[in-house]
Amino acid sequence: MEGASYARMPRVKIRELKDDYMKFELRDTDASVANALRRVMISEVPTIAIDLVEIEVNSSVLNDEFIAHRLGLIPLTSERAMAMRFSRDCDACDGDGQCEYCSVEFHLRVKCITDQTLDVTSKDLYSSDHTVVPVDFSADPSSLESSDGRGIIIVKLRRGQELRLRAIARKGIGKDHAKWSPAATVTFMYEPDIHINEDLMESLTLEEKREWVDSSPTRVFDIDPVTQQVMVVDPEAYSYDDEVIKKAEAMGKPGLVEITAKQDSFIFTVESTGAVKASQLLLNAIEILKQKLDAVRLSEDTVEADDQFGELGAHMRGG
Amino acid sequence: MNAPDRYERFVVPEGTKKVSYERDTKIINAASFTIEREDHTIANILRMQLHRDPNVLFAGYKLPHPLQYKIIVRIHTASQSSPMQAYNQSINDLDKELDQLKNGFEAELLKFSKDY
Ligand SMILES: [Zn+2]
Repeated sequence: MEGASYARMPRVKIRELKDDYMKFELRDTDASVANALRRVMISEVPTIAIDLVEIEVNSSVLNDEFIAHRLGLIPLTSERAMAMRFSRDCDACDGDGQCEYCSVEFHLRVKCITDQTLDVTSKDLYSSDHTVVPVDFSADPSSLESSDGRGIIIVKLRRGQELRLRAIARKGIGKDHAKWSPAATVTFMYEPDIHINEDLMESLTLEEKREWVDSSPTRVFDIDPVTQQVMVVDPEAYSYDDEVIKKAEAMGKPGLVEITAKQDSFIFTVESTGAVKASQLLLNAIEILKQKLDAVRLSEDTVEADDQFGELGAHMRGG
Repeated sequence: MNAPDRYERFVVPEGTKKVSYERDTKIINAASFTIEREDHTIANILRMQLHRDPNVLFAGYKLPHPLQYKIIVRIHTASQSSPMQAYNQSINDLDKELDQLKNGFEAELLKFSKDY
């Protein structure tokens, strides 16, 4: 029997879009969905990261595991990750997780032969797959990162020191290890609904208005230079700190302003590590969440077992 | 040394069912769903979606222990429905909502990249 649908029709509006940054509005849904999206973006959207390092030569000042850890934290372009296999599910390689379906091989060979200190960076990593390479922040001029074009520094070498290694990158999720998280930050806030009691506001002198406006730690309100009326200039700057409400009470004007959080409107900020584009990160999160929901559907045998139980129960009840 | 493997948090062990269903022995139309290797992400959206169903009298979830990687969703419905029906319905509705969100976002993305 198919029941009525209680599905909602959420709306999205993009405000700002860069490769590694996105701000958007999500409306007509509730906090559980907003939070699920946030949680999935941070810890369940897969990326590719270095997971195994075989060091051939390391005469640098950093020990082997220190370097291996640093390599793991380098974001790799991971558009492929959604279609890739997890090594633990891969049947093409028997458990060693080193085949083309579930891994990407990297090589690094650097030796310093001058008196000048040599920086070993992510640019020295050579990938066996041109689609999976260390993220290059200098390629995108709108990127949040500084674009000095030098890559991510791994270690510095002095004359005679050498680093030679082979690394295997695998698909993983942030829940396993933070190195696989595609998100630098994902946050959402409730959209505030701000109502100024105009009558009460007009009972204040300009001096008092100025004092009240300045009591907000963030610039939410301002005074119109012409009409001298208090106006809301940036509702989203409000951080639910209650300062203006306390101030109004202290001034003997409770109810001067009423601020509530809209329960069905959210403003999201997504910052990507560069492993996947911020916009793709949201699309992947939706896809992963759908897959997770699909995985928690009841299996046929569970339903059948209960049907039998139901008949048995009805029989026992004398039905 | 004896730390459990990290993947134990999200890989269902072999021979274990992802979702098991247990009727309440005392109350009709009440049941618990034990979902292995899931957390607040799934549990909370299911709970909130179940609350939108007027036939659902009670829907709640618990994460019994942070080191037991499972959640228990308990549903009690009116006689017109059943916990299983409400559970399936909530998954279908959430799936529909996510489809809508995906389409909406893709359209917005297209519009946005054209406009700017
Ligand atoms: Zn493999």
